[in-house]
Amino acid sequence: MYPIWVVPYLSSALVIGLIASFHILPSHLAVGAFWFNVYIEGKAYREGRPELLSFVRRYTLLILIFCFVFGSLSGVGIWYSATVSSPRGISALIHNYVWGWATEWVFFLIEVATIYAYYYTLGKVDERTHLRIGYLYALSAWISMIIITGILAFMLTPGRWLETGRFFDGFFNPTYWPQLGARTFFMFGIAGLYALLIAATLKEREVAREVSRLAGAWGLFGLILGTLFGYWWLKKLPPEARDFLFGGTLPYLSTLLKVAAISGGIVGLYFLLFGILFPRLNNVPLALLTLIILFLGILSGEGLREGVRRPYIINGFMYSHQVVGADLPAKGIASEVEVLNEKGYLSRLGYLPPELRTITEKNRLSVGRILVAHECANCHALSPKGLRSLPRLLKGLGLKTPEDLAGFLEGLDGYPYMPPFVGTEEERLAAGAYLSTLVKENP
Amino acid sequence: MEPLALYLQHLRDVSGLPFYPWLFDFLLVLTFTLHILAVNLVLGGTLVLLWGRLFGGSYGRRLSRSLSRALPITLSWVIVLAVAPLLFIQVLYDPFWYFSNVISAWWALAFLALIALSFSLLYLYYLRGGYEGAGNPLWPLVAFISLLLVAVIIHALSLQALHPEKWPEWAAKGGTEYQSGGKLFALSLPRLLHFLLASMATTGIFLLFYARYFRPRADYDPNYLSWAARTGARLALIFSLLQAAVGIWWLLSLPAEFRFYTHPLFLLGAGFGLLFILYLLLVRHNPEPHAGRIGALLAATVFFMSYTREALRMKYLSRAGYSFASYPVHPSWSSTALFLLTFLMGLVILGYVGLVVYRAGRGQKEVGAHGWGRLSVLLSWLWIVVMVIIGLALSFKNGALP
Repeated sequence: MYPIWVVPYLSSALVIGLIASFHILPSHLAVGAFWFNVYIEGKAYREGRPELLSFVRRYTLLILIFCFVFGSLSGVGIWYSATVSSPRGISALIHNYVWGWATEWVFFLIEVATIYAYYYTLGKVDERTHLRIGYLYALSAWISMIIITGILAFMLTPGRWLETGRFFDGFFNPTYWPQLGARTFFMFGIAGLYALLIAATLKEREVAREVSRLAGAWGLFGLILGTLFGYWWLKKLPPEARDFLFGGTLPYLSTLLKVAAISGGIVGLYFLLFGILFPRLNNVPLALLTLIILFLGILSGEGLREGVRRPYIINGFMYSHQVVGADLPAKGIASEVEVLNEKGYLSRLGYLPPELRTITEKNRLSVGRILVAHECANCHALSPKGLRSLPRLLKGLGLKTPEDLAGFLEGLDGYPYMPPFVGTEEERLAAGAYLSTLVKENP
Repeated sequence: MEPLALYLQHLRDVSGLPFYPWLFDFLLVLTFTLHILAVNLVLGGTLVLLWGRLFGGSYGRRLSRSLSRALPITLSWVIVLAVAPLLFIQVLYDPFWYFSNVISAWWALAFLALIALSFSLLYLYYLRGGYEGAGNPLWPLVAFISLLLVAVIIHALSLQALHPEKWPEWAAKGGTEYQSGGKLFALSLPRLLHFLLASMATTGIFLLFYARYFRPRADYDPNYLSWAARTGARLALIFSLLQAAVGIWWLLSLPAEFRFYTHPLFLLGAGFGLLFILYLLLVRHNPEPHAGRIGALLAATVFFMSYTREALRMKYLSRAGYSFASYPVHPSWSSTALFLLTFLMGLVILGYVGLVVYRAGRGQKEVGAHGWGRLSVLLSWLWIVVMVIIGLALSFKNGALP
């Protein structure tokens, strides 16, 4: 096991979540925007209306800066935050899907080459070539989504991979197609809203109105179809995930779903009213406000997607505290739970000095803290304030003594959304002793 | 087995490798070479831009205009070219990369924030007058400083990964009860300088190509282009000599038992480096016609030096009883083929885009090569169709659909 990075108040998992959710905006814009862009550009050439190109230029600059500065960096940021928060989790994904990511990388290269070529050669090369560069960008960006969705969906529903360990068995898994459909169409929604925002900044009012109307139609179309695929995705969720969401086991998940749905509704109304019906009313402050609402919706949607996977990083295989919980004979993998319960979690903490790897009366609290950090701090704040605060939760359960808390840890996986607390009885008692100090210190 | 070696073995990913390690190693070196060349250009280019803007006279200012446009584009390439080596290093050296990052977690994240800052500032400079030769030099200056910090961070993270024997000590120093991630622990000045100095040499060679590329364009003053080429060659020569000196310093600072000066890869890299310097010396008065050969020598030097860097890493890690050669392999032929075929296809498409940009930059409006262009679009669609067919077939077979 690697050392643990403890993030005060937020928990390290939320750091990944925040970066990943932010990444959705530029990344989905990068994927969806160009279909709209080349559509407008083609229209400009076909109808001999060069004034439409002013939108194309400005829209591309937005994509260039927003997507290729903040989008690409936040993409790498997901990796980095996962590296420091959940190294064994990202490692398991990479060791199974490295060729998927490497394939996606080829399309990243094409995206970078084509976006700059497109922006800097607008008006400098023949129309046919320029449009083709735009199409190549749009195709590559969409393919990158086709690939990454496989890996994302794999984490929730690894499907047959759990038996065969084979790349494509996990890639084309039960939630792959609905998620790909939802992301593909929602990206038109995001692109439509950005297009409305850019259109509102154009000086040529006629162009602004026309682009707003078209963007509204594209956006609404994307939103409606995306919602249908989202519904299909909900239907394809594994039974335990559906129970978390609809059965009241984890009520915050249904709240997230409501927030996502309401945000989607507001964005849809904006498309209808300020895009399709009254495009002259489309303006920058309102479009920005709607964008913030959309972001809230995305944040909730992604939070939901992560939440229904509990208590796993890779469903049915690796727990959220990075312990492998299942056998995978095809790859010679054995569950680590039994071994660690027998030999002790400390047996794998080779970075600790020997005196901290055996529990004594003197070091019990220190070791307990280390064990709690390893097994809980990914998702729980250790302070009384913060995300899923341990002192607050334990106090709510009325648990105080080390023995009670150790007993509670022993039965932890009785909660379907919690991983088991792994380790020997002595280790549970040390963790319980430390947890009891948390409860006592924070009355 | 030694406790450290056992610990490292336990840190390895349980899934093993999806292909034989030599391929990942080769791809790591290849993509790192491309990445580091782009890194060098951004770092060196920012400094040359600042110098040109502030002290370079009319030619220097002209050069700063071109660089203001080239640098944000290059930084994009730096980032995208970083993805592949970052991926392959995690495949082969996961215990080392992850451990080093976790104990310096805040720095690993600051690394990205600083790149975002430099990127934004370089764009700001370009869009706010930099391309007219009148931007505020404070922006590239701050960008340069934060890029230097970025270099120090990635240097420290890489170096920490090479010293597992020191990890327990560093992990304990990290903060109360081993849980902070707020410190960096390792620095080797000759190693860091060796990477930094290369930036100026690479930027110098870039100037040579710049002069040659724009030579046919009537709107570029031929005297200015000759100046750029000469300046580039001089920069490359001076900084390569400095780099060679620092390289010797680094070599001497390595553990004696490595006897690294006898390593064939090192000798090959150093040999190409020496040829590069000698050739630059010979043609320094009129370097422009030799740009192709000089560029090839630079590429060969950086490629073999990158391989040498791997050899050095293996030396360090073998002290801890680790070698990636013993990593269990479960070959995934299908996904390996997916990548390799896609990579070839990507080269075809990138070649087309490169040709369009090359011709457009030379002022050619009808760029031609429509057959190649149509093939590129067709290949992209074909890729999608093939994946969808495989995907649907497998999904129905496995019961993932309907």
